[in-house]
Amino acid sequence: MRIEQHPILDFPERKPIAFTFEGGPMLGREGDTIAAALHANGISALSESSELHRPRGFYCAIGNCSSCHMVVDGIPNVKTCITPLREGMAVTRQAGKGAYR
Amino acid sequence: MNAEILIIGAGISGTAIAWNLARKGQKNIVVVDSGYPACGATGRCGAGVREQWATKMNCLMAQKSIAFFEQANEILEYPDDVEFKQEGYLILACTPEEDAQFTKNVALQNSLGIPSRKVTREEAKQIVPHLNEKAILSATFCGKDGHLNPFKMTDAFYRAAKRLGVVFLFPETVEGIDVSDGKVVAVRTDKRTIATSKVVDAAGGFSGEIAKMAGVSIPVYPERHEILVTEPIEKIQGPMVMSFSKNLYCQQVPHGSFVMGRGDPGAKHDHDISSGWRFLDEMAKTVREFLPLVAKLRVIRQWAGSYTMSPDRQPILGTVPEVEGFYLACGFSGHGFMFAPMTGLLMSEVILGEPTTLDMTELSLARFHQNQAIEIEKSVV
Ligand SMILES: Cc1cc2nc3c(=O)[nH]c(=O)nc-3n(C[C@H](O)[C@H](O)[C@H](O)COP(=O)(O)OP(=O)(O)OC[C@H]3O[C@@H](n4cnc5c(N)ncnc54)[C@H](O)[C@@H]3O)c2cc1C
Repeated sequence: MRIEQHPILDFPERKPIAFTFEGGPMLGREGDTIAAALHANGISALSESSELHRPRGFYCAIGNCSSCHMVVDGIPNVKTCITPLREGMAVTRQAGKGAYR
Repeated sequence: MNAEILIIGAGISGTAIAWNLARKGQKNIVVVDSGYPACGATGRCGAGVREQWATKMNCLMAQKSIAFFEQANEILEYPDDVEFKQEGYLILACTPEEDAQFTKNVALQNSLGIPSRKVTREEAKQIVPHLNEKAILSATFCGKDGHLNPFKMTDAFYRAAKRLGVVFLFPETVEGIDVSDGKVVAVRTDKRTIATSKVVDAAGGFSGEIAKMAGVSIPVYPERHEILVTEPIEKIQGPMVMSFSKNLYCQQVPHGSFVMGRGDPGAKHDHDISSGWRFLDEMAKTVREFLPLVAKLRVIRQWAGSYTMSPDRQPILGTVPEVEGFYLACGFSGHGFMFAPMTGLLMSEVILGEPTTLDMTELSLARFHQNQAIEIEKSVV
């Protein structure tokens, strides 16, 4: 969902940005964070809890809480709520606490 | 109020001493702490445990303590888990001197039955795959070593002692010790006076001040050591990685976070336990050299605690000639967590007048007065 009309604020057209989520194509807009673009595409489960593996979504939105950690271009634990979306990004959900090699 | 035995400090040492005394049937034990259990160095420490030492005494203290940690959940009937991760210590030799010293250390350790070994760079890399092996000459490894959760280990001693009737008073601060005719007679706190003839100084960084209250001067001083923890990731590191010359220890704890620290050669001898950006900067640079992958992780938190330094980096345990009934359990010099099971056992033996499991001459306060050569432990960060 995106707010297109607002009584006070204007939302000018923004350039579409192509990226992938779990391998499938998606479109975001210039200026989106990764998490905002995912939400606009109806994806609200961004990660999972580490013990019970329950879905975790957008929470603090300021890069503190780790609820939005995802794998972006192979890098784990990316804070998608504060990371700007870029053309061609490959975003996937992360299993567990982030696997580094 | 009165106590048969009054222990000052509810850190890992005080709780271990209390439990050891209580399990031998000693009654009316009181432990006083100005904060709460593990609020001192214990709850701030790296909680690594290792048998790889350079003095015989430290080797023995650690070896016997680790044998206890292996059984701690069962012995203490702990309903939780002390989280003993026994995956070794990899100690890095970065200079030719260290390489040569480590050969001697391993020979000493092996002679005591400690299964440590020298490993090549390549073997070290197999043990810790993300190690930058080019930064080292060789290493030593001992699989008996490891890490525990310091809060839970203290809690395990605390609960077991409480079950046996030990009384814990906190927050309550000891302000004075009354000595009459060379004997301890009472301890004064901010809340009451407790009549007692036996007092144990297990006050960590404040053990020098406590001893002074009994009119005893001991050669210890507190020294700030900083430490940090990163965000958790999936497990990539089994052993603790440590370097004495490069001043580094770094461990991945079971939860997935990395806990790491280093000493500050310029640290003042005071009770400062603030933390600062300089440590963050130096720590990051040091860990990047040896464990480059770890340098990518975010730091979650940093803090500091006091080491209580003794002249030879070995603890001071036992009686004090000038004051009857005053006992010392301090001066752990940055490794009192891992020695706690032995600290508790030896102190209980001394206090109850039993034969001691180890010859305590080398741990006594008297060793510093006799103008004798003391052997200084060099394997420290
Ligand atoms: C950063 C850091 C890393 C470390 N890493 C390791 C490690 O990896 N392995 C290891 O074995 N050791 C390590 N140590 C050392 C270890 O933490 C200590 O040696 C050990 O915890 C000492 O325990 P303690 O019970 O003797 O003292 P403490 O835990 O300091 O307990 C002393 C207690 O006495 C109380 N007290 C003080 N004054 C008074 C008073 N006047 N009245 C009442 N109570 C009082 C305090 O509140 C405190 O709770 C580390 C220490 C630090 C700071």
